[in-house]
Amino acid sequence: MNVSINKPALSTAAKAISISDVNLYYGALHVLKDINLEIKPGEFFAFLGPSGCGKTTLLRLIAGFNTARNGKVVIGGEDVLNMPSWKREVGMVFQSYALWPHMTVARNVAFGLEERRLPRAEIDARVQAALALVGLEKLADRRPSQLSGGQQQRVALARTIAIEPKVLLLDEPLSNLDAKMRVEVRRELRELQQRLQLTTIFVTHDQEEANTVCDRIAVFNEGRIQQVGTPMDLYEKPANLFVANFLGTANILDGRVIGSGANRTFEVTGAGSIPIPPGTDVPAGAKLVFRPQYATIGYVQPGWVSLSGTVMHCEFLGATVRYGIAVGTATVMIDVPFHSGAGLLPIGSPTVLGLQPSSALWLAE
Amino acid sequence: MAFVASMPTRRFAAKPGQVIAVSVIALFLLVFLIIPAGTVIYTAFTEKGTGALTVVNFIDFFNTDLFRRSFFNSIYVSGMSVVWATVIALPLAVLTTRFDFRGSLIIQTLGFVPLIMPPFVGAVAMQLLFGRNGTVNLILNDWFGIRLPFMEGLNGVIFVQSLHYFPFILINLSTSLRNIDRSMEEAAQNLGSSGIRLFRRIVFPLAMPGYLAGASLVFVKVFDDLATPLLLNVKDMLAPQAYLRVTSVGLTDPMGYVISVILIVVSIFAMWLSAVAMRGKDYSTTQRGGGGLAKRKLSRGESVIAYGVVALILLLVLSPHIGLLLLSFATVWSFSPMPDDFTMAHYARVFGESSIYIKNTLIYASLAGLIDVVIGGAIAYIVLRTKIIGRRWLDWAATAALAIPGVVLGIGYLRTFYGITLPGGTPLATLWVMVVLALAIRRLPYALRACYAALQQVSESLEEAAENLGATKQRTIRRIVLPLMTGGLLAGFVTSFSTAAVELSATLMLIQSNSDAPIAYGLYVFMQSPAGRGPGAALGVIAVVLVAVCTLLSHYVIERRQRAIGMNK
Amino acid sequence: MLKTIAAAMLMSAALVGTAYADGGKVTIVTSFSKDVTDPFKAGFEAANPGFTLDVQNKSTSSGVKYVDETKSNNQVDLFWASAPDAFDNLKGRNLLVKFKPSVTGLPEKVGSYPVNDPDGFYFGFAASGYGIMSNDRYLEANSLPKPVEWGDLVKAEYHDHIAIAAPSRSGTTHLTIETILQGEGWDKGWGTLKGIGGNLQQVTERSFGVPDAVNSGQTGIGIVIDFFAFSAQASGFPVSFSYPSVTTVVPANIGIIANAPNQPGAEAFVNYLLSEKGQAVLLEPAIRRLPINPALYEKAPEGFPNPFKDPRFQSMITFDSDVSKKRTDVVDTLYDQLISFQLDNLKRATKAIHDAEKALASNDQPEARALLTEAHALIASMPVTADEAASQQIRDAFTGGEQKTARQAELEQQWATFASEKYAAAKTKAEAALALID
Repeated sequence: MNVSINKPALSTAAKAISISDVNLYYGALHVLKDINLEIKPGEFFAFLGPSGCGKTTLLRLIAGFNTARNGKVVIGGEDVLNMPSWKREVGMVFQSYALWPHMTVARNVAFGLEERRLPRAEIDARVQAALALVGLEKLADRRPSQLSGGQQQRVALARTIAIEPKVLLLDEPLSNLDAKMRVEVRRELRELQQRLQLTTIFVTHDQEEANTVCDRIAVFNEGRIQQVGTPMDLYEKPANLFVANFLGTANILDGRVIGSGANRTFEVTGAGSIPIPPGTDVPAGAKLVFRPQYATIGYVQPGWVSLSGTVMHCEFLGATVRYGIAVGTATVMIDVPFHSGAGLLPIGSPTVLGLQPSSALWLAE
Repeated sequence: MAFVASMPTRRFAAKPGQVIAVSVIALFLLVFLIIPAGTVIYTAFTEKGTGALTVVNFIDFFNTDLFRRSFFNSIYVSGMSVVWATVIALPLAVLTTRFDFRGSLIIQTLGFVPLIMPPFVGAVAMQLLFGRNGTVNLILNDWFGIRLPFMEGLNGVIFVQSLHYFPFILINLSTSLRNIDRSMEEAAQNLGSSGIRLFRRIVFPLAMPGYLAGASLVFVKVFDDLATPLLLNVKDMLAPQAYLRVTSVGLTDPMGYVISVILIVVSIFAMWLSAVAMRGKDYSTTQRGGGGLAKRKLSRGESVIAYGVVALILLLVLSPHIGLLLLSFATVWSFSPMPDDFTMAHYARVFGESSIYIKNTLIYASLAGLIDVVIGGAIAYIVLRTKIIGRRWLDWAATAALAIPGVVLGIGYLRTFYGITLPGGTPLATLWVMVVLALAIRRLPYALRACYAALQQVSESLEEAAENLGATKQRTIRRIVLPLMTGGLLAGFVTSFSTAAVELSATLMLIQSNSDAPIAYGLYVFMQSPAGRGPGAALGVIAVVLVAVCTLLSHYVIERRQRAIGMNK
Repeated sequence: MLKTIAAAMLMSAALVGTAYADGGKVTIVTSFSKDVTDPFKAGFEAANPGFTLDVQNKSTSSGVKYVDETKSNNQVDLFWASAPDAFDNLKGRNLLVKFKPSVTGLPEKVGSYPVNDPDGFYFGFAASGYGIMSNDRYLEANSLPKPVEWGDLVKAEYHDHIAIAAPSRSGTTHLTIETILQGEGWDKGWGTLKGIGGNLQQVTERSFGVPDAVNSGQTGIGIVIDFFAFSAQASGFPVSFSYPSVTTVVPANIGIIANAPNQPGAEAFVNYLLSEKGQAVLLEPAIRRLPINPALYEKAPEGFPNPFKDPRFQSMITFDSDVSKKRTDVVDTLYDQLISFQLDNLKRATKAIHDAEKALASNDQPEARALLTEAHALIASMPVTADEAASQQIRDAFTGGEQKTARQAELEQQWATFASEKYAAAKTKAEAALALID
């Protein structure tokens, strides 16, 4: 699938990435556990998770800086696991950008092309094209130390794209930028990726970044992929408590399952019980999970269930008001749309929660 | 001493503090370097006989074929020594810092040992091994009927000098290599670069500040070294010419001092050149995220080659020590590949006498090393981190010490300080403290280079961060800069310490009695007679082992400390 | 300013605490090795209880320099070394004091050289002769006969097998050179010296460099002072030594420094050194010097030369130290400029002549022979005559005196140019001769 873009000097071909049964150890430490992942050609894919979850380790494995004990990493139909980094044609943008201080911007960008012994004219054309792509044509003769953080980031990107990699890897590319730049750059990244149709992996610990730019996300924790899916999937149907908690705000209530078959109910500790819709899979040790916007306060709609609670605090957020309600031993967050003239519930007043059973989830760790 | 030790690093709190530090260092250099050297070098500008000021001596210098030839020979030998020292140091530095290589610490320490070869014995041992009728050539002659002129003429000087001084490059280059952020290398690999090309285009340029620091030291050191050419009987080089003329009996010949002036000028010029080359190359790579050095594992085949190369290099660079060891056990070793017989008698002979030498050596060398690190660190900080006018002059002045022949400094000390008497009539110049100061001055340039390299690798933003968090300049230096510089400071100390421990030329003039004498002096005394060769070699072995153990120990201590504060890797 | 610092230094010095020996410390500056000084120290301290001998080892030249530099506050009692000219130098600078040793009955001359300074400033305590030292193994491996005369060293077979110390660096070698010049005359003497020069393997910077190179077999033959060879033999090295017929025996000396801090101690040591006990120490294997006291030779080991009885020493030439003194700097500088610093040129020319002569031996060609004679003459030719060398003009060039006609540096350049041109011309002639023969 060759997609030619408006800069004729650069062309890319989207490749699929397939990772199967990868395990990686640092000494006795099991850092990546049974990783299996399919990334589609041209997909903008995110590795999301807290620090130390193994997302960067997997990225470096794909780039060729780590080696797995077993498993496969297939890029565009070729197993690259035992291929050295410099032969993989996998472009990586480092968190620190890793621009070489002893070379100008143009020399930095030309580096990979020179390593490929391309003719000088082609190198020049591609350097030009890559710099144009990131809007830095005018700074070609500067040294990295003379650039701002955002400019350095773009040079790093141009340097990587110039080699027309099969896959683009971005290691926390926005972490060294200020908030405004971050929003701007991530939009540019998305546009660029769309134009180049380049399979891209984006490592981040920021769910908002992942949600806004990526087609699909793999959520990592403790060396394991917890779930893979579109941002919406992950939000709506988290596979476990970790995913539910990591993406967006989740209310989690302890309790236990009573009864069996079609008459199961979930007894929330100290706050009442909720019928479990038939056919719902409730894993052992599961807890009740629901999002703040899927509940009402003070009234219960027909078919919904109710739980008793006490108003603990409230925050006015503009479009919504977020209440903290003590339910049994836990405190849950409920978002209520704000209407002009509506008053706020007094702190400390007892109230009821209305909960739509179909929006409730039962998830285990 | 007391006023020296209490001096520099403390007082950077404000501008006045910096001014005081600069003044104190300047005063130190003035009193213990510039004035003593000046009293001697002044002769270069006087007319013989009348003592009138003149520059005619310099005109004579350039009109003399011998001096012109000496000048070019010195430049050639120094340049080639840098090339060969690089050839030796580069594989050792790269293998031990960039690869998962067993015994890196041992190699780094052993690679340092050539610097601590005491005078005389090293050349004697080298002659026994590589001389025209040394072990190697006798064997070659036996087997193939050929002799290789390792030790003859300028090439012989280059051979011995590169073996002797390559550690300067090894130490500085290793420090630089260790401080390169791994992502710098990975980015290049990721873009398709590997192996030699990766090293040539990315790693080496990034390590350039360290390499240049080491290479310029080698250049200047070889340029100014007189002992090696003289022991190989090469006289048409500048430093030997200066020495021969300064120390000849008879009326003072100004040409010796003229050559000294030229040595100093060229040395400073070389240092200046390397400083210019390094300008704008502040490659300190702050360790963001992963950081640290990427140590690659060697494949089986690579391992075999790597260990082979390292073994070969170590064998070569340690050959003087091997020869020395053999000599210390030899009864008679004459025109034969190996000594006639072995004995322990030489060690028995020096055993009783050596303890006083060892004690003196340790005291002198460690005090000198300490002074050097304190002053070197302070100068490096002042030059790199402050904007005080004239700060460069401190650097040039300290560096000039490199080019001042030891005898010139020794005579200068006698002239300057002999007139000052202590109560009881003892001249100040005869106090052992003066030996320490002379050694400190002579070795200051080494420590200074190391301190520069270390400080250049500490990103200024780290200091700014500390100041931003409310630390004063003084506390920033103590809590941030010093811990980060520890490796470099240690390198500086070790270089100063170990080379001072075997220094002779300045001390020979200043040592007043056997009870104040360091090992190098004892060695010199022994090596003047046929029966003294064995004991001299035994003393040499003791000196080398002593300094090597101290070096290893300080490496170990620092390594542990670094690990404790989580700084290594 | 210096005073302030001196005060600061003093304080710390006081803290450290420097222990000094009692009033009985005798400080001696010497060029002799530990092997020599240790037995004397032990003997002296045993014979004179209360005195301790503090030995400061320096090369002769730096020792002289040191005593001169520190004369304002002298801490040295004695100067003890081989080369008589160093003592002359010290005496000339008023750095020695007169003394009359209590030991009597010692001979006035050894060979033809006066044992003591005629003015009583320094005293000979041992005799040394100059000669040729060779490494037996080396000679055997290279199938070389043992050289016995200076003239032997000119032969082609010894090319690149000889070492000598630069006379400007080694007082003893200077005396050897001067002996040859006086014995053979200025022009013939320089001819011999340059002939040997063309065969040199190395010109060392230290006196001991030569015996060291011969001992280890780096070079086969060395021009040295006798005791270097004797002590090497005593240490087991396979070396031989011979006195050529043109040589001289000169005394090694000791003198008391002016303003000695311990004059009685200094006198005691001189007296001990000249006494029979002190003289006996000279015969120890590691020292092996010729005692100045003839009585000692009865105790000497088999084959030990006796300069007082041995006829070969009696026929040695008379060494004129006045002539030597006048031209010391000139002779040393000439040697440096014509031989040491021109060694490569000289050796190349000499080699060319040797090659041609070898060819000539089997195929005599008068024309070639004439060319070679010219080549020899070119090598032997001198830029200055004996008279010029001793002239006030040239001496003043070295001392900066008023009558100088050129500066030392200018003279050196002239002589160097002279030598390199002559050697190049000689090489051309020798090559032309060889071409004629072939």
